[in-house]
Amino acid sequence: MLRPDPDRLLRRDFLKWLGAGTGVVAFSCSDRQEAGRLAGSGAAESDLHWGKAPCRYCGTGCGVEVGVRDGKVLAVRGDTSSPVNKGLLCVKGYHLPAMLYGRDRLLHPQLRQPDGSLRRISWDEALATVAGKYAEALQAHGPGAVGVYGSGQWTVFDGYAALKWCKGGLRSNNLEPNARLCMASAVSGFLAQFQSDEPMGCYEDFEAGDDFVLWGANMAEMHPVLFSRILESKRRRPSVRIVDIATRRTPTSEYADMYVEFRPGTDLALANGILHLLVRENRWSKAFVAENVVFRRGSEDLQQIGYGCFGEQAERYTFEDQAQEASFEDLERFLAGYAPGPVSDITGVPEAQIRALAEIYADYGRGTVSLWCMGVNQHVRGTWMNNLITDLHLLTGKIGRPGANPFSLTGQPSACGTVREVGTTCNRLPADMVVTNDEHRRKAEQIWGLPEGTIPAVPGHHAVDLFRAFARGEVKVLWVQTTNPWVTLPNLQRMQRRPGDGRFLVVSDIYPTPTTDAADLILPAAAWVEREGVFGNSERRTQQWNKLVEPPGEAREDAWQIMQVARRMGMGHLFPWPEEDWHAPMFEEYRSFTLGTGKDLASYAQLQRTRGLLWPVVDGKETRYRYAAGFDPYVKKARGVHFYKAKGYGEKAALWLRPYHPPAESPDAEYPLWLCTGRVLEHWHTGSMTRRVRQLHQAVPEAYVEVNAADAAALGIKDGDRVRLVSRRGSLELGARVDGRGQPPPGSVFVPFFDEHCRINALTLDAMCNISKEPDYKKCAVRLERA
Amino acid sequence: MKRALWLLALLPACREAPPPGPQKTAAAQRAERRLFDGAPPVIPHQSFGVACISCHNERGLEVAGVGFAPPSPHADTRGMSAISRCTQCHVFRATEALFGANDFDGLRQDLRRGARLYGGAPPVIPHQVFMRENCRACHSGPAAREEVRCSHPERARCVQCHVPATGAPDFARE
Ligand code: SF4
Repeated sequence: MLRPDPDRLLRRDFLKWLGAGTGVVAFSCSDRQEAGRLAGSGAAESDLHWGKAPCRYCGTGCGVEVGVRDGKVLAVRGDTSSPVNKGLLCVKGYHLPAMLYGRDRLLHPQLRQPDGSLRRISWDEALATVAGKYAEALQAHGPGAVGVYGSGQWTVFDGYAALKWCKGGLRSNNLEPNARLCMASAVSGFLAQFQSDEPMGCYEDFEAGDDFVLWGANMAEMHPVLFSRILESKRRRPSVRIVDIATRRTPTSEYADMYVEFRPGTDLALANGILHLLVRENRWSKAFVAENVVFRRGSEDLQQIGYGCFGEQAERYTFEDQAQEASFEDLERFLAGYAPGPVSDITGVPEAQIRALAEIYADYGRGTVSLWCMGVNQHVRGTWMNNLITDLHLLTGKIGRPGANPFSLTGQPSACGTVREVGTTCNRLPADMVVTNDEHRRKAEQIWGLPEGTIPAVPGHHAVDLFRAFARGEVKVLWVQTTNPWVTLPNLQRMQRRPGDGRFLVVSDIYPTPTTDAADLILPAAAWVEREGVFGNSERRTQQWNKLVEPPGEAREDAWQIMQVARRMGMGHLFPWPEEDWHAPMFEEYRSFTLGTGKDLASYAQLQRTRGLLWPVVDGKETRYRYAAGFDPYVKKARGVHFYKAKGYGEKAALWLRPYHPPAESPDAEYPLWLCTGRVLEHWHTGSMTRRVRQLHQAVPEAYVEVNAADAAALGIKDGDRVRLVSRRGSLELGARVDGRGQPPPGSVFVPFFDEHCRINALTLDAMCNISKEPDYKKCAVRLERA
Repeated sequence: MKRALWLLALLPACREAPPPGPQKTAAAQRAERRLFDGAPPVIPHQSFGVACISCHNERGLEVAGVGFAPPSPHADTRGMSAISRCTQCHVFRATEALFGANDFDGLRQDLRRGARLYGGAPPVIPHQVFMRENCRACHSGPAAREEVRCSHPERARCVQCHVPATGAPDFARE
């Protein structure tokens, strides 16, 4: 009987021609030589063990298959069975494996010596040192003197271990994630409106929607595979439109049916201008609003609110919004000031475009998906802007159905899964709970088997204030994991350390960075598929992967590091699982927080089997559209939506009245240009991984400043010239790009932040959103000079 | 001027002064442009300021003074589609410098032939077909390497006879 075994046949064939048998007869001599040189390991796609994992980089959360052989990752390919990317990746994803093999991987714990050098130490000594420093600071100064600064790139395990250790062990709420710098405004936006975090839609909105309105989101570079899905929809249905609302032309603008350029910070006025037209022209959905919406407004006094970056507020920024009830009539009166004329004056957007935008939102027959990310979130009124975008959907009833949703995109791979869902912030607990709520703390204490009153009820410092407190010496011991604050924090000058400052900084990472340069103790971390993990992406999809290769040297995963320190501090009871098999039981404990809350996660076993599931997962079934009848098992209505999480609003959503406030700092005679910062397609975050990949580094080897051609001509600057950029806080020399990939309008410049040798955050301003406390990296004033 | 020099440095055709006419890419050069076999190649020339598809079309294009632009292996790159943004995956090289050394040694080019059931049977496709739907891009035309060149490119519907090897276990009734 013929039993073809493709694998075996292939191998035999291969061996035959490698031995210069008949199989190579047809090859020319040079081909043969080349083939011999290239044969190398002799492995082929089919010889590898292929494991699944989400991509390590952006919040899109593409599925990849990881090809492993002899303990090494040799290849990746887009996972064609992943519902996220359907096989496609972006250039970062295709180059993932090299990220693990940079020659300067951190391999051993290293302790800073008094002379500034690093000494290799054992894990035992390292863990004992961390435990000792935390215990000492706790005893001498109390829980306010310690802190942990984590990441939206943490796995769920790392975040959960940190949360439990900080809040349940150290009894400190000084736990913050770098996602405070990235997603916090979306969190406070969703909480203010739905009393539950995260979007209602999913990526299927990209196939179901008709109009995609991008509010300050350069999706072509930042969420490339999602942008591909939009472009594919446009191919299939030419009626699909893309609207790019931005302060700078980007690769996204090239595909836009309408490009709307507004002056930095005036998006608040623009959104109110659209609301004004919807209300004035009676183009809003009365039935939907009556059934599902309440009205609220908060503090609007600019003097009282401030920006957190000047004067007294510059050390501690603790403004709290005060909600008041409002009505539709209040909204009408409030919007009277946002007629197209005045809005056009503020924003610089022609009246015709404001009308066109209103028409898009008003047309009930077309599904509208609003998309946003850092442009809206890193904004001195980021929460307000989140609210206003969602208001557009609430007012028109375009929410909670396929293809019609406000969709907040996340930047980091597990900003949702780890930070927003686990609650690794100074005020949160898992599944939408907060430390300020007695019941919530009790529930956590119960699940954790801790005595009542263990978790402190007062929130800790938010990220920017945490580093301010570290700089002034109030926080003595800080542990940074999986992030690079000495590149990413705004107004970096404030963070610089002096030797012997009496503080202790522990940094866990996979490569040396400016943050490890500032560290007293460096711990080598396991990366990506060198450990087991779970990430949650932008569309509420929880994705699990197994450990596929061993980490190099003595590198260990972040969660293990935390649990070991906890054990050495006598807090081993927090992590009662066997050392070799703790992932599944830890996840199941975490999952128990979510069950029955509308944020129900799938079981670990189910996550292991699937390409991720969208929560809430009830009876093993995922939920594509939250709050929507027919999709969400928590909605008992036959039709429409039910915002069942918003108990405080009578299970309705809140439409917030939010005014326009100007940015914290605007250009003037001395500093005449706007500075906006951001990312490029090729690099992830601070580039500590992607720059070690040859292809990515060579594509974009260093930061540069994009200058408008008119400004460049006026200053006598040519493409490629060295220039100096100066703000009130710092200055930087870098190369100029005139008419490059992105084109800022006259009077503004753009600089990417990935380059550790060229840290633009030396210039940025530590102004924050009044509610989310997320810094505004998109707007401050600079001067440009020839270097 | 600087740009032009770049172009010369990166164009293999100029460096090795080969005989005129279409040239296939040397295997070593092909490997050098990829992180591993299966990764999207980097772009070995500087931007010509035209759409990629105008040269890298279904059949490829001989560009006077530059060389043969190999065809695109992707299904359809014309107009708006999921893969119309070529530089989402293929990037230019702005420098030859490195940020730091990297020891990654990935999957090499697989030069084996597809398995056949018997001597004259059509070989199965030994690689993923996703994103390589245009078989001709690599298996025919002037850019095709000899060892994978197809003897009958005129028979356009390749997958009628050649099927992808999925690695699935043999059929068996439970
Ligand atoms: S970086 Fe983002 S878009 Fe690119 S492959 Fe990874 S998850 Fe997908």
